[in-house]
Amino acid sequence: MPDFSLLLTHGIFHILAALITVVSIFVVASKHPVKSAVFLVIDLFLLAAVYASLDSHFVAAIQVLVYAGAILVLFLFVIMLLNLQPEQLRGLKFSVIESGTLLISLIGLLIMIFTSFRGVQTGLGDGTLDVQAIEAAGGNTYVVAIKLLTSYIWPFELASILILLSIVAAIVIAKKDKKVLTSSPSGQS
Amino acid sequence: MNPYLPVLIVLIFGLTLGAILSGLAAFLGPRNPRPEKIEPYECGVPTVTNANEKMSVKFYLTAILFILFDIETIFLYLWAKAFPQLGWFGVSEIMVFMVILVAGYIYVVKRGALEWD
Amino acid sequence: MGLTANEFTVQFIGTLIKFAIVAGIALNIPPVMVWAERRIPAMMQRRKGPNRVGIFQFRIYGLMQSLADTIKLIFKEEVVPEGAHKAFYHLAPVFAVFPAFLIAMAIPYGPDIQVFGYTVPLSVIHVDVGFLFIFAVSSLAVYGVTIAGWASNNKYSLLGALRASGQMISYEIPLGMSLIPIVLIYGSLDLNKIVEAQTHVWTWGVFLSPISFVLFLISMFAETNRAPFDLAEAEGELVAGFHTEYTSAKFAAFFLGEYVSMFVLSCLASTVFFGGWQVPFFDVRSLDEMFGFVGVGALVGFMSLLLKAAFFMWVYVWVRWTVPRFRYDQLMNLGWKYMIPLGLINVVVTAVILAAVRF
Repeated sequence: MPDFSLLLTHGIFHILAALITVVSIFVVASKHPVKSAVFLVIDLFLLAAVYASLDSHFVAAIQVLVYAGAILVLFLFVIMLLNLQPEQLRGLKFSVIESGTLLISLIGLLIMIFTSFRGVQTGLGDGTLDVQAIEAAGGNTYVVAIKLLTSYIWPFELASILILLSIVAAIVIAKKDKKVLTSSPSGQS
Repeated sequence: MNPYLPVLIVLIFGLTLGAILSGLAAFLGPRNPRPEKIEPYECGVPTVTNANEKMSVKFYLTAILFILFDIETIFLYLWAKAFPQLGWFGVSEIMVFMVILVAGYIYVVKRGALEWD
Repeated sequence: MGLTANEFTVQFIGTLIKFAIVAGIALNIPPVMVWAERRIPAMMQRRKGPNRVGIFQFRIYGLMQSLADTIKLIFKEEVVPEGAHKAFYHLAPVFAVFPAFLIAMAIPYGPDIQVFGYTVPLSVIHVDVGFLFIFAVSSLAVYGVTIAGWASNNKYSLLGALRASGQMISYEIPLGMSLIPIVLIYGSLDLNKIVEAQTHVWTWGVFLSPISFVLFLISMFAETNRAPFDLAEAEGELVAGFHTEYTSAKFAAFFLGEYVSMFVLSCLASTVFFGGWQVPFFDVRSLDEMFGFVGVGALVGFMSLLLKAAFFMWVYVWVRWTVPRFRYDQLMNLGWKYMIPLGLINVVVTAVILAAVRF
């Protein structure tokens, strides 16, 4: 007898992959930034569906919650309200400082990923965990939770520092010091 | 059965329902637009400018802070799920995590980023 | 994992039936709620409210008023404002409707039942991540509002949409945090397991974690943009907020989305804090044996949940006509400066107490 659920999962994956490709092209090809953002939401939602079809329920939920639900809201806010016209976008370029910061943070991220994935000892057995093993150990979310809080404890705590840094950075960028604002005109006079 | 198959059914249903509600008026209602009628509503006064104005930076700040605290909440969920196995070790772990983030939170409050004046 | 074609068909049909029941209920919530929202304040203010419209001479307390209103609304002319972003303007109601329906499917409406040797859970969507699924989907509700407001090319709409989305994302954090102690206490993200753990009244979430309940209740109002947090559509200043330019059936779609999400959050509140389908001092699952008929217990449990949800719906209306509207800065202050710290303290205190008791 054919395994229907497996057949279905494979079929769904191929459909999703095709859809993601098409939507991704729309993201890049759309002239209007808001259209791109909305297509990106759909794209990320479909990506979550791929994770879900691979039985990574936790990653799927997080994908929707963080990317589609939170980060893209910020994107939309910024795009909608700055009201950049498509032609204005052409002239935008990364400055040296911006691209440098981007590069450094990318390298830092990579270092963090590599150090955290090297030589992992887990209580759940080494090697790949297949779907059955995860189900037997108590479900996807539980396994991710245990792994994160035992084997990956340092990246976990580092993440809090990362969030702290982002909080500070966001406020430094968005919230200008009132002292600086009032003193600079008087300093010139 | 894949637990997400119902999600697919609901998605299709929701999209169809939304599309039907969205398209219903085009078939049922009358349609005779006049320039005065289709003008964006501004309490009867002629529209002054386009609605796309630049908005307060506080909304962006709220959105950024939301992302960060949202991620923190997700970490807390994972920790809560593993809590029965971790015991006091888990408590100490989350204390370290919390202390760092509360420092960030205090910074946010002190800098007045949450003031809506 | 392996499923035969037969099992698959049975599960698929079961899912469709459950889906049809839940969708049917969810679709009937808005008309009933619109009626309730006119009758209840009328009762509070000692006037009559709509009491005329009925079927022939049966007035049934004016319940048919909503039906009449719906028909009138659908047959109205649709006015698309000049300069609107057409595609997004038409798309926004779709975004507003489907998240609420998706969450409605994830709530357990009764205990598992045994039909023809199959165990059928009484929630349409049953995923491993439970709560996180609900949060993930509810975070998508922001798009309907934001896109509607932006696409209308109206200043009131834009400001209303911004306010609405700002407050929705702000209160998502306390909402999420308020449920962490629940996960700690019951040790599960699965809603049905949480309900099963609340067999006795004194193990209900509201007694084990009262602060969580308060946080959840407040966030519930802010998430649905309801009074006293309905700044997104503050009539005095913003006309109608993000749906100012929406008319006819599209306006009805926003109504539908709002009322279904109210219903869903009411169900969630009763599930997490008031024992869901459990009946106080009584195990509904024993009813099956008592009557010798499968499904009696599930039906009673379902009624119990609906009754609890109805109570929360009533609280929604009650609060709307009791508490005056907040100012936007007050709203944001309450969310960010009081509810988030309180939520964090609640989590830590619950964890320490639990660790002290259990380990």
